Amino acid sequence: MRDGLQATALSVASMFADGVGRLNRIHRLVPWMVVFVLLLPVPQLVTIGLSDYYVYLINKICIFILLTVGLNIVKGFCGQVTVGHVGLYAIGAVSSALLSIHLGLSFWVSFPLGVLLAGLAGIVVGLPSVRLEGAYLALATLGLGESVRIMIAVTPFLGSSTGLMLIPPPEIMGFVFDSFQSYYYLVMTAALVGLYLSFSLLRSATGRAFMAIREDVIAAGVHGINVPRHKLLAFVISALYAGAAGALFAHMPPGYIHHNNFTIIEMVTLLLMVVLGGIGHIWGGVIGAIVVTVIYDQTLEYYFYQPLMFGLSMVLLVMFMPQGIGGVIDRSISTRRFIALRQRREAAEGQDHGAA
Amino acid sequence: MDFDFSSLLAFIMFGLTIGVVYGIVALGISLIYSGLDIVHFAHGEVYMFGAFFGLVFSSQMGLPYPLALLAAMISIGLLGIVIERVFYRRLTRSGGGYTVAGMGMIICGFGMSVVLQNIAFLIWGADAEPFPVDLGPALEVGDITLPRSYGLTAIIAVVLMAALHLFLKKTRTGLAVRAVAANKDIAFLMGINVPLMISVIFGLACALAAAAGTLIGPMQSVQVEMGYLMLMKAFAAAVVGGFGSLPGAIIGGLLVGIFENLGAAYISPNHKDIYAFLLLILVLMIRPSGLFGVEVRVKA
Repeated sequence: MRDGLQATALSVASMFADGVGRLNRIHRLVPWMVVFVLLLPVPQLVTIGLSDYYVYLINKICIFILLTVGLNIVKGFCGQVTVGHVGLYAIGAVSSALLSIHLGLSFWVSFPLGVLLAGLAGIVVGLPSVRLEGAYLALATLGLGESVRIMIAVTPFLGSSTGLMLIPPPEIMGFVFDSFQSYYYLVMTAALVGLYLSFSLLRSATGRAFMAIREDVIAAGVHGINVPRHKLLAFVISALYAGAAGALFAHMPPGYIHHNNFTIIEMVTLLLMVVLGGIGHIWGGVIGAIVVTVIYDQTLEYYFYQPLMFGLSMVLLVMFMPQGIGGVIDRSISTRRFIALRQRREAAEGQDHGAA
Repeated sequence: MDFDFSSLLAFIMFGLTIGVVYGIVALGISLIYSGLDIVHFAHGEVYMFGAFFGLVFSSQMGLPYPLALLAAMISIGLLGIVIERVFYRRLTRSGGGYTVAGMGMIICGFGMSVVLQNIAFLIWGADAEPFPVDLGPALEVGDITLPRSYGLTAIIAVVLMAALHLFLKKTRTGLAVRAVAANKDIAFLMGINVPLMISVIFGLACALAAAAGTLIGPMQSVQVEMGYLMLMKAFAAAVVGGFGSLPGAIIGGLLVGIFENLGAAYISPNHKDIYAFLLLILVLMIRPSGLFGVEVRVKA
């Protein structure tokens, strides 16, 4: 029974993979467009059965997907431990919000500027990574991330205790993204583009250089990879992702951000998403973002126990399932493939014997 | 601002006393690092638990302050050993430091700090609790008035450091601890009970953090969120002094304390908590090995 179920799951998965492969052969972007079209009616479908609140939840998931994908680039591909990612997220959010509130810039100008500023901050966060490794780096990034939050919390211009209010929603040719439903199209597109870009990065020479650095810094250097440059590049790319997520978060309909949005608890949630999904698995990060956000929302009434449970599950995950959901799925697929291959070969050998 | 020499001196004095406490926590972090090759991210929370245990022992159970300090140190030391045995042993067995397991250890410590902080939150709540200890009238040093707890803190801190130094340099167990810190495999071949020594290291480090928590209690109030900032400052102290170097940790702590107090006095008191990180980043960028540390070694 269990075997049959697994075989069915495997055949479905392989059919799916075949389909994606066929679409891929037409053009690399085709599967992404199919997914995009499939995701378009989601807010309408959700509002039929459930309330508008769930669209907001989906928007949040999309923003978290951007964050986990960015974090995975520096952590999963390049093997650099950073725990200050929330600081970059905050920089993106606050700078984009301030630019559009005080200078009256439209979202389409303030968004790239916010992303750019986060990228610049990424250089600052990444600079220690050129010389530091492991724990030192974690400390430096933790310090920087928390410094950003404290700066926001004590500086009135950055919206200390009141937060920043009335951040204008994005607008394009008269169409205003001022409801959860319309904003969904923006964040969903951003999340898909972010995912696509991270996959193409993984395929490129730069992505392979990142992975070489993760596996062995010295060997990578010997093979002619400019290690400091690539480490810094990984930080900057992931900072760009975080900045984009932050700016998108700031302009989301309530148009309100507060420094409590960027605390260590957010960092724990983010880390849990990446760890649960599996460090270095892009799809794992997506699964982690969905699972953790949904669980977080469903257990809101046990508010006091939430961080405790999140921390504990992180500890237990690292102890007992360090490869995460993504790793487990990967392994089960490859095991099933291997078993199927061996059965086929044994069957073929049996026939040979029969013929002889 | 007109310059006033005696107030500068007062700021330096405050910086020194608070710096001694940073130094004690940094000492624990350095000890764990040199012994196990890992950085313990939950150490700030251990310190916070120490402060609360000290408060419970001295206010609720009515023990005299020195006894409360000792009781907090012993109980937190045992707690540290339990945490290490149950949670960290699995990860450190497969190697610490810069390996993939090292990354797991960082995440695990991070999660553990969240767990400990929220357990404390559930027990004691989020409010800052006063830690009343009557130590007698304030001290007069020249024109400066120092609360007596500051002087006591400095004395106890020096005693603790001296005791640790004597333990490490003069006893057989201390020698074994140093051997484990130098090389675990060879220490094992020499017949040293390495797992036991690792527990000893962890217990000592946690006891030191508890001492720091109980010492800082009378100066400031005790609250759940205090551990996190202390972790960062103690890290800054450990890095400034050179990770793994025990005298360096103390001097780093003093430097961080003075730097922070002078920054708060002459630049802006609102940003007080950022100065330690600034110093940390500065030292990491210019001289990552710290003032007294050895160069970071990279193993092929």
